[in-house]
Amino acid sequence: MARDYYDTLRVSRTASAEEIQHAYRKLARQYHPDVNHDPGAEERFKEISEAYSVLSDPDTRRRYDRFGPDFQHIPEGYESYVGGARTGGRASPFGGFGTGGINIDDLFGDFFSSRGAAGPLSGADQEAELELSVEEAYQGGTRRITLSGLGTPISLDVEVPAGVVDGQRIRLAGRGGQGLRGGAAGDLYLVARIAPHPRYRVNGRDISVDLPLAPWEGALGASVPVITPGGEAKVRVPAGSSTGRRLRLRGEGMPNPQGIPGDLYAEVKIMVPRKLTRRERELFESLRRDSAFDPRSGT
Amino acid sequence: MAGYALVRLSGLSLEEFATRAGMHPDLVRRLVALGLLEPVQDTSGQWWFAAPQLRAAARIQRLRAGLSLNYAALGLVIDLLDRIDALEATLRATGARPPRDAARGPSATARCED
Repeated sequence: MARDYYDTLRVSRTASAEEIQHAYRKLARQYHPDVNHDPGAEERFKEISEAYSVLSDPDTRRRYDRFGPDFQHIPEGYESYVGGARTGGRASPFGGFGTGGINIDDLFGDFFSSRGAAGPLSGADQEAELELSVEEAYQGGTRRITLSGLGTPISLDVEVPAGVVDGQRIRLAGRGGQGLRGGAAGDLYLVARIAPHPRYRVNGRDISVDLPLAPWEGALGASVPVITPGGEAKVRVPAGSSTGRRLRLRGEGMPNPQGIPGDLYAEVKIMVPRKLTRRERELFESLRRDSAFDPRSGT
Repeated sequence: MAGYALVRLSGLSLEEFATRAGMHPDLVRRLVALGLLEPVQDTSGQWWFAAPQLRAAARIQRLRAGLSLNYAALGLVIDLLDRIDALEATLRATGARPPRDAARGPSATARCED
């Protein structure tokens, strides 16, 4: 995916050498893979380095301006650009008559080798966010995920721990920055992010859910079904439960592979019918007449 | 540099470490002298490098080459990067999300495929 080098460095085609160097330094700082853990940063850094390598040298810049991205395939003619111009005593990547193009790894190697050392170089660690629904976090398991935000999306199989919590990091060894010249790849860390859910509120491993009740259920008590990420559960509502009372279902929260699972809290929410039948109205009116209950006493 | 070893030390010798790190032994010595690498020293004065030091060495090479930092600046950058990592880990533990640097642009996100 060869982008225009001037676009890559965000400079105009008439930029001075100084402007080009300034632009390169600013972008290099931003996208160096040890400073920027985004999985796309390493690729950007390589593009920036490649662009700077060509545009910072007046000869190669001139040839690039004239011939475009394929300039390295154009024989140099009698322009003198022999080996010693590059560091480390390596043969010039721009040399030769039609002898193939630049070896891109060598080019990047210039930017990743200290004073011409040509040993293997490890890749840096990277970090990305993994969005999970409450249900996906609850179940865990091997999931195929798509990592986007890079040049091309990547598909990975990830072992999601059941009951993964928000902010928890999942390490994918060797899936991070690419090594060079046989160096080990870095690791990719996925930071789990539990997406907001219409019904569940997750707090660590505890899950809260609203428990709508009819007034008589709250007053008399009831056994009421509640939907949890693990399926349907039954809640025993004690008599005299008003809105706001939290009924705890121990162990029904998010699982914990290393220990005690979280709890599920069903929060009582007394609901009344929007429209009353005649009979319901009669019964409620009787209650109003015969009951001494004052909800506002003491407030 | 620490190291009155009462037990036999394990790890990589200077030569092994230099080979695995792709560095000249003299460079390794220099980095140790600068405090950028921290081997443990046994009673005979020999250095032993723990495996995590290899990752440290790789990062030093990447930073030095990619950003043309001198060694003094390198040390500072590494200290600051480590400090940021520690702070972000603390933030994560409280459930907060570390601020995303706006200058870096959109970050990579992953989603489960259905």
